Amino acid sequence: MSIEISQLSKRYGATLAVDSVSVNFYEDDQVVALIGPSGGGKSTLLRLLGGLESPDSGKVILDGSAVPAEEEALRQFRMGNGFLFQSFNLFPHLSAIENISLPLVKVHGWAENDATDRAKEIADRFGLVEHLEKSPGQLSGGQQQRIALARAVAHKPGLLFLDEPTSALDPEMKAEVLDLIEELRLSGQRIVLSTHEMGFAKRSSDKVLFLSGGRNLESGQSAAVFENPQSKELRDFLAKVMKW
Amino acid sequence: MKKFVSLFVSVVLSVTFCFIVWVVLGHDYQWELIQPYWGNLFSGWLTTLGVSVAALLLSVVIAFVLTAGQLSDYRVPRFLSRIYVEFIRGTPLLAQILIGYYMIADFIGWDSRFGVGVVILSGFSGAYLAEIFRGGVESVSSSQWLSARAIGLTEGQTYRHIIVPQAVRRVLPASAGQFANLIKDSSLLFVISVHEFTMQAREVNSNTYAAFEAYIPMILGYLLLTFPISMLSRFLEKRYHYEH
Ligand SMILES: Nc1ncnc2c1ncn2[C@@H]1O[C@H](COP(=O)(O)OP(=O)(O)O)[C@@H](O)[C@H]1O
Ligand SMILES: [Mg+2]
Repeated sequence: MSIEISQLSKRYGATLAVDSVSVNFYEDDQVVALIGPSGGGKSTLLRLLGGLESPDSGKVILDGSAVPAEEEALRQFRMGNGFLFQSFNLFPHLSAIENISLPLVKVHGWAENDATDRAKEIADRFGLVEHLEKSPGQLSGGQQQRIALARAVAHKPGLLFLDEPTSALDPEMKAEVLDLIEELRLSGQRIVLSTHEMGFAKRSSDKVLFLSGGRNLESGQSAAVFENPQSKELRDFLAKVMKW
Repeated sequence: MKKFVSLFVSVVLSVTFCFIVWVVLGHDYQWELIQPYWGNLFSGWLTTLGVSVAALLLSVVIAFVLTAGQLSDYRVPRFLSRIYVEFIRGTPLLAQILIGYYMIADFIGWDSRFGVGVVILSGFSGAYLAEIFRGGVESVSSSQWLSARAIGLTEGQTYRHIIVPQAVRRVLPASAGQFANLIKDSSLLFVISVHEFTMQAREVNSNTYAAFEAYIPMILGYLLLTFPISMLSRFLEKRYHYEH
């Protein structure tokens, strides 16, 4: 996808979470990664890109069309995409399979049967079949995140937004979830993600955007940015996260 | 110090308990005195049950309206519901019964004591239930709203499929407790001569001067109604804790 962001700002009280960010990724990239220190504004920017929040000023153009401002148009926009959060955010009163099928039925108007079949199909692909009847509270973090990922991709979203999809997981579960994301990428899924997994960002993303203090401090082709960081902030950040 | 306090409390409670048992057991019961009035007591008990069940149903409806008002996006319903809830919770039920019957019902020319009693009690209990319901809705975390928005549910669908089902589980124990309160509070309706349980017991007492024989069955009759509810409330509370 192409991403054009101009002078985008979002404030929470006294905090300028996103501070006049501009970026022009004109090419048709498949994966774009947001990196940077905690509190740098990655989640906020991702929510703005995904239409979950509205900016105070500035605008976003994805694939040539502006992210809408009016609520119903925004909802239509979100319906076409998928979103995954750091903290899974499954619906605790529904079983795993209901978590996956509910949006298909209620939002996309599928028949119950078709939605259930689709949920099973994805669960099979994600290695979750034996967990489908469980409620989220009975699943491990990694399983919950895989269910949440299944929910986010069940309707074949145009764009998949992932907000630190593995930050809340143990190393082993991280690997499981990263494997699935990589598999989605290889099958052609277009992804915008924020992550602390520098190895993954370096290997799998086409473009990268380094956010710190709400500002875009460096951005461009991943290969170039990771090999040859220009700003002192990014060099320090990479040195710190690569150290261990 | 702590030990001393708990010892003191234990002694005071034990002595009080023994004293009550001694008074109750030591009384020279003459059940034949109230023999002719068992029917009155039973009809009073049934009236209390009837008032309570009717008021339960109506108070749930009132509470729904008030909760919707308080959570509304618009100022006027929010303000009106708030005023109503504060007024009801800030004044004694006895005063509400007197005003409701002698001023309002009299003004509109409605003289069914039972009907007026049910409405006043429902208006009273509804305000408390509304606070419980609002707390339940607000206790569902904002991340659930975010997920629901992310998958494209409308606000109405989010309430219906995500927020309300979770809120209901949380408010059930407290709502059951409020129902037990409703049963006890219905005893105040004797001031407008609703022939409920307390009023019947008072009449039996004034006709026979057999206070023990009139009031002990009354106490047991109330417990018969409230005890199962209190058990149910505890059970629901436990189950809720277990689920989370
Ligand atoms: N909903 C919110 N309310 C208040 N402050 C927020 C909210 N979301 C983010 N912030 C603040 O905005 C800044 C950026 O946060 P965030 O976008 O979560 O950064 P990151 O995802 O890079 O860690 C932080 O200072 C954070 O405390
Ligand atoms: Mg974040």
